[in-house]
Amino acid sequence: MSDKDTTHFGFKDVSKDAKAGMVADVFHSVAARYDLMNDLMSGGIHRIWKRFTIELSGVRKGNAVLDIAGGTGDLAARFAELVGPQGRVVLADINDSMLQVGRDKLLDQGRLGNIEFVQADAQHLPFPDDSFDCITIAFGLRNVTDIDLALRSMLRVLKPGGRLLVLEFSKPKNELLSKAYDTYSFRVLPLMGKLVANDSESYQYLAESIRKHPDQDTLRDMMEDAGFFEVEYHNMTGGIVAWHRGVKA
Amino acid sequence: MSAAVDPTLHTAALAALEAAVNRALALSPHSLVELARLEDCVFALHCTAPALDFYLQPGAQGIRLTGYHDGGVTTSIRGTAADFTELATSKDPTATLINGALELEGDSGPLLELQHILAGLDMDWEAPLVNALGDVAGHQLAEMFRSAFAWGKQASTSLGRQLNEFIHEEARLSPPRLELEDFYRDVQELALRVDRLQSRTERLRQRLQQRLQKSRG
Repeated sequence: MSDKDTTHFGFKDVSKDAKAGMVADVFHSVAARYDLMNDLMSGGIHRIWKRFTIELSGVRKGNAVLDIAGGTGDLAARFAELVGPQGRVVLADINDSMLQVGRDKLLDQGRLGNIEFVQADAQHLPFPDDSFDCITIAFGLRNVTDIDLALRSMLRVLKPGGRLLVLEFSKPKNELLSKAYDTYSFRVLPLMGKLVANDSESYQYLAESIRKHPDQDTLRDMMEDAGFFEVEYHNMTGGIVAWHRGVKA
Repeated sequence: MSAAVDPTLHTAALAALEAAVNRALALSPHSLVELARLEDCVFALHCTAPALDFYLQPGAQGIRLTGYHDGGVTTSIRGTAADFTELATSKDPTATLINGALELEGDSGPLLELQHILAGLDMDWEAPLVNALGDVAGHQLAEMFRSAFAWGKQASTSLGRQLNEFIHEEARLSPPRLELEDFYRDVQELALRVDRLQSRTERLRQRLQQRLQKSRG
């Protein structure tokens, strides 16, 4: 198998064709307890990171928003309030288990009318060109097999002047924090996954996939290469998480 | 957003503050109706001590506090936390804005309306208490709260008035407001006269200088 045909799945090298199925298995496994595990693993901070992403999105009444890898719908729910009845929010996820959990959650909250649920691959988004004012992908990009392809697909469906916001785990800037974070990720997370979700392997993958994800500068360069303008990033919580933002010209 | 503060901390602080304010607003449906009128307004609040910048957007669901806002703002205010508190609790916010240390840019009308709504928060304790305790106990407890708050408000107003009278009229620790305003007017008049006098003496000095130069020439 040549390098061109392989990609990483955590720390393992796997064929590109196999990765999507393996990632799908991970998320089928964690979907039911995804929110609970996120709260436990991050101490609730993931809600703060997402809240800040919403602020940066600049989404307003009447906008069309696409939330890719929207999972259990945290961002989509808030976007639906911001865009109002004239706006449109599409919650997209490649994984049907995650999408089902998100759809049930939002419908149970009484959110309907301006939210659509679409099972879609970020690399081949099933929307016409220039469809959305804003696209967000929170903690999803690292699971995509071909990040370049996904970024180009997002650029295509964004309206001119629209913005992409990527919220993703990144590289901590402080050595001490980095070591503490490694210990937490590789020792505490899988243990927590085993105790709460009875699935240590999936959480081992989540920790490994974070380490394999491009660092802040690399992702910024990738976004520029894909055709985004005014690309910038900002670290949060010492660089454990970073948001990147790019605009379609 | 304050540059020195990690956005995580900044956002967490604003989220906590927003939740607290909205919880109070949820008990005052009348205030929410009034806030909905300001739905299209954005207020930029720049606190210099402690350093904290944030944006406030009112709406029918309550208020939204954000550390980042992309777009224009209706009113921008800069000052210390003490200045903001003074405005929030002021009985005469227009005078506080004019005479206080707050720097204001933009439209002051919506800001005064917001101050009026938040200052006049009239919380209805009955609904949450009835939900938690049932109709009879909830209603009785709410009545107790209402009378306690009404008494507290009345007592505070009455104490404030009596204290005011004692300080100004009996102990003469501070002059009454009207006397003080007269005094300020006199000082202002005196300052104007001094300015005029200064201009006249300057004009005379220049004339004298011109004559001296002519006589020498």
